[in-house]
Amino acid sequence: MSLEKEQKVVELVKASFEDAEAEVQRERRVKVRVKPNRVFPLVAYLKGHGFNHFVAISAVDWIKDGEIELVYHLWSYSEKVHVMIKTRIPRDNGSMPTLKPLFNQAETYERDIHEFFGVYFEGNEKLDREFILEDWDGPPPMRKDFDTRLFSAEFYDQEDLESEALRLKIQPYKGHLRK
Amino acid sequence: MAKEKAPKGIKGWAQGRSLWMLHFCTGCGAIEMPPTMTSRYDMERFGITPMATPRQADLLLITGYLTVKTLKRVVRSYEQMPDPKYVIGFGSCTVNGGMYWDSYNTIKRLDLYIPVDLYIAGCMPRPEAIIDSFTELIKGIKEGRFDGWIRYRENIEFYKRNQAMVMDIRKWSLDTELAERIWNEVQEERKKRFERATVPHVYELAERIPEGLPK
Repeated sequence: MSLEKEQKVVELVKASFEDAEAEVQRERRVKVRVKPNRVFPLVAYLKGHGFNHFVAISAVDWIKDGEIELVYHLWSYSEKVHVMIKTRIPRDNGSMPTLKPLFNQAETYERDIHEFFGVYFEGNEKLDREFILEDWDGPPPMRKDFDTRLFSAEFYDQEDLESEALRLKIQPYKGHLRK
Repeated sequence: MAKEKAPKGIKGWAQGRSLWMLHFCTGCGAIEMPPTMTSRYDMERFGITPMATPRQADLLLITGYLTVKTLKRVVRSYEQMPDPKYVIGFGSCTVNGGMYWDSYNTIKRLDLYIPVDLYIAGCMPRPEAIIDSFTELIKGIKEGRFDGWIRYRENIEFYKRNQAMVMDIRKWSLDTELAERIWNEVQEERKKRFERATVPHVYELAERIPEGLPK
């Protein structure tokens, strides 16, 4: 399988961004690693070269490195190549410039990541508004140091309440069990 | 005053023969409803028909897992329904959390929060199981066995306290005075639980891939 068009995209990135580590991952898939402050210019540059479908932003918590990795996915309909732009920011008080001026839909993904990973996106005005989690005042739940099993056991097990329910005889009707 | 009892005899027979159902389609259980409603299993032969709003419904069917966010809406819907009202918990998620047993945002046992009359176990139960529970419900209503709304009224403090542990009941209860009082009562306990639950987790990745797994 020739990887010509993928190689072309790598050369396109390297022509303007010398510090970017671009490589072909496989057919139709290109991976680029850049510094956080170069993400905005790189996305703007690729948008000008036909990568006009902004697919999503995803986040990975690398707790041992103390970093959060943000992955920006772009797709080009003319080239049929998917570019992943990966960047790492510090875990504590990490922030990124928003991509809203380039792609409007980035706002929604940024609000999502802000709520679940605690990453701050500068310039996103709706970031402080409640998005998915309602009345949530705990730590961001998708971080690795949030123990979801412990949280679930504390709040939803309620074994003491189950015995209380037995005492009050408000268990559901059990006569339906077949003999 | 005499203790309130569920209707039985001819009243119960009439009640059980014209149930209007609010199917609260959370999770994947909703997909079992269309075959139950339509000609293959045809639940309307029992006089059960889907209804659009809680204020006109007799039967609340919870079809799947409940996040805290959904539980708020369920409590609100349940309280709006007129007496007599019945609740069926559908699928293993309403019984003990099912596959969401360790989720930070999903309740495990539905009958701690609203009174449940019947549970259907399974993941997912087939339409035959739903029809079975409907016939049992109709039979039980005729005999006056199901009295969920009476249990809810008599043990309102128990239910409200459980609800208040996981959600802000002041916004979602019809009886706001009671909700305000119980909400203030549980704050201390809630805070304690929250502190215990949000201890930072020491995350340790397995350094070595266990034997037998592909590398």
